Amino acid sequence: MYLKKSKSVGASSPLNGIGKQDWDSRRKRKMGEIAQALSVTPVDVAALRRMAISEGGLLTDEIRCQVWPKLLNMNTDNLPEKPAADLRENHKDYHQVLLDVRRSLRRFPPGMPDDQREGLQEELIDIILHVLDRNPQLHYYQGYHDIVVTFLLVLGERLATVLVEKLSTHHLRDFMDPTMDNTKHILNYLMPIIERVNPEVHDFMQQAEVGTIFALSWLITWFGHVLSDFRHVVRLYDFFLACHPLMPIYFAAVIVLHREEEVLECECDMASVHHLLSQIPQDLPYETLISRAGDLFVQFPPSEMAREAAQQHSQQTAASTFKDFELASAQQKPDSVLRRRRRERAAAQAQAQAQTQAQDMAVARPRARRLVRLAVMGLTVALGAAALAVVNTALEWAPKLDLHLFP
Amino acid sequence: MEAIWIYQFRLIVIGDSTVGKSCLLRRFTEGKFTDISDPTVGVDFFARLVEIEPGKRIKLQLWDTAGQERFRSITRSYYRNSVGGLLVFDLTNRRSFEHLKDWLEEAKMHVQPFQIVFLLVGHKCDLIQLRQVSREEAEKVALAFGMKYIETSAKDTVNVEESFTVLTRDIYERVKRGEISIQEDWEGVKSGFVPNVVHSSEEAVKPGRRCPC
Repeated sequence: MYLKKSKSVGASSPLNGIGKQDWDSRRKRKMGEIAQALSVTPVDVAALRRMAISEGGLLTDEIRCQVWPKLLNMNTDNLPEKPAADLRENHKDYHQVLLDVRRSLRRFPPGMPDDQREGLQEELIDIILHVLDRNPQLHYYQGYHDIVVTFLLVLGERLATVLVEKLSTHHLRDFMDPTMDNTKHILNYLMPIIERVNPEVHDFMQQAEVGTIFALSWLITWFGHVLSDFRHVVRLYDFFLACHPLMPIYFAAVIVLHREEEVLECECDMASVHHLLSQIPQDLPYETLISRAGDLFVQFPPSEMAREAAQQHSQQTAASTFKDFELASAQQKPDSVLRRRRRERAAAQAQAQAQTQAQDMAVARPRARRLVRLAVMGLTVALGAAALAVVNTALEWAPKLDLHLFP
Repeated sequence: MEAIWIYQFRLIVIGDSTVGKSCLLRRFTEGKFTDISDPTVGVDFFARLVEIEPGKRIKLQLWDTAGQERFRSITRSYYRNSVGGLLVFDLTNRRSFEHLKDWLEEAKMHVQPFQIVFLLVGHKCDLIQLRQVSREEAEKVALAFGMKYIETSAKDTVNVEESFTVLTRDIYERVKRGEISIQEDWEGVKSGFVPNVVHSSEEAVKPGRRCPC
């Protein structure tokens, strides 16, 4: 059974407006539980994680102000002073940051007075430059401002500055390398996850050679760039902040899988499929998708996917995988190399299949596994546990070096 | 059913950040213009049909690219499968003009073994007061690069249609003369007639799956 078939789950989601009374009472109870978790010493971070993941997330921006910093184990006692003005002139990325922030009107609430918005845009520039200046190892990318603006709007400048700095050195660290190699590597998780759940969609996308660039802006902006409703964005941020740094790529996979029928109906060519997928429908059943992404994460954890992400259908030997990394690091075109190799292998497989049909010796692809629905508690506990020790970047969690362990 | 086209050309739009690539494309494909537009994160896709001669339509696949340098490792993989490109600079931004050479070198390096037909586009020509590059100067550079030059404004809808048509016609002529030919394993130019027929017959047999591969 593929993901799509259990669509009815979404009907009970609060965002769909059904079962309102029931949701009101659950919401009240949840607010009580969050207050309880915040009131104990030390704060019950595990409980807060569960709240951030489970239905409705953290409910209000007031709660987010209190809980988001806790999810990142932040100390909010000593907030930084306003950054010095000379930062602006001296920073190498200042020009690009300025250009991008000044033209990001879409990310501010419609109807906000111009002067208020302009003030916030200046704060946005300050936060970004402050973080970059204090962490010279971090590099600005177009799309980073889409993430930072969300934190600014919810937390205000001072708290956002501290949180964004922590996030940038952890969850977002891989995106902020001098090159985009690690970002591309994280995108490589997408197709193996899709393959596990729905091999047909996976094969169709491979045949179309659509690649994964359609999901690039989703990943590096945590969907902030592509979702127009701010409520959806903060709900997703609840989820991502409470989870493993690779969770956004699982969520990306879930969106593709949710659109299974549309994908299979699409013309099987790169442009058509890219175009279809890059346009995210604005009425996605977020609660359902969040819980599915959690399910996928637990069943196909990064440690299991790392190999496939790295190998991405190259032959199952460490040597050829290593070759792929060599190509990648030499800034050649690993994608086309992989594509060619995949085609060659498919041809070889077809031949082998014909020859050894009787013995059924054809190279087996990892079988699609039935997606098991986990109880919400079980899921949130598992995810919370995985995320509790959030101190590393996505790739440190599931390093490329894992390859050496799996010859 | 999609309108019938004789060829499909894949074009790429490149140039520095904020020169107006996305605005130009949005004006051309949707007829819309906003004074302020979000930066492109990664690669965006647009499509439109143009009529090159009465009754002869060409389908354009248009790839819009992020201008920031760090995205080049991603955008450069789009050069190889493009038959044409708009090389855009901002007439009010001298730097974007000075970077044209880098963009062209980048493109040439990654298009091998194919070739791209470029059109040089001086954008934002409505901002007369702020102009930092003269037409003569730009024309001289275009001549040196071996490409045509056009000045456009997405805001005032000046030469938007023309820029794409000029480039499309240029490519079309080369295809007719046999200088550019359709090749397997290359997406730059595709012929519209034959595959369409194959598609529709396959559709009848296998609804929902149109993949000819």
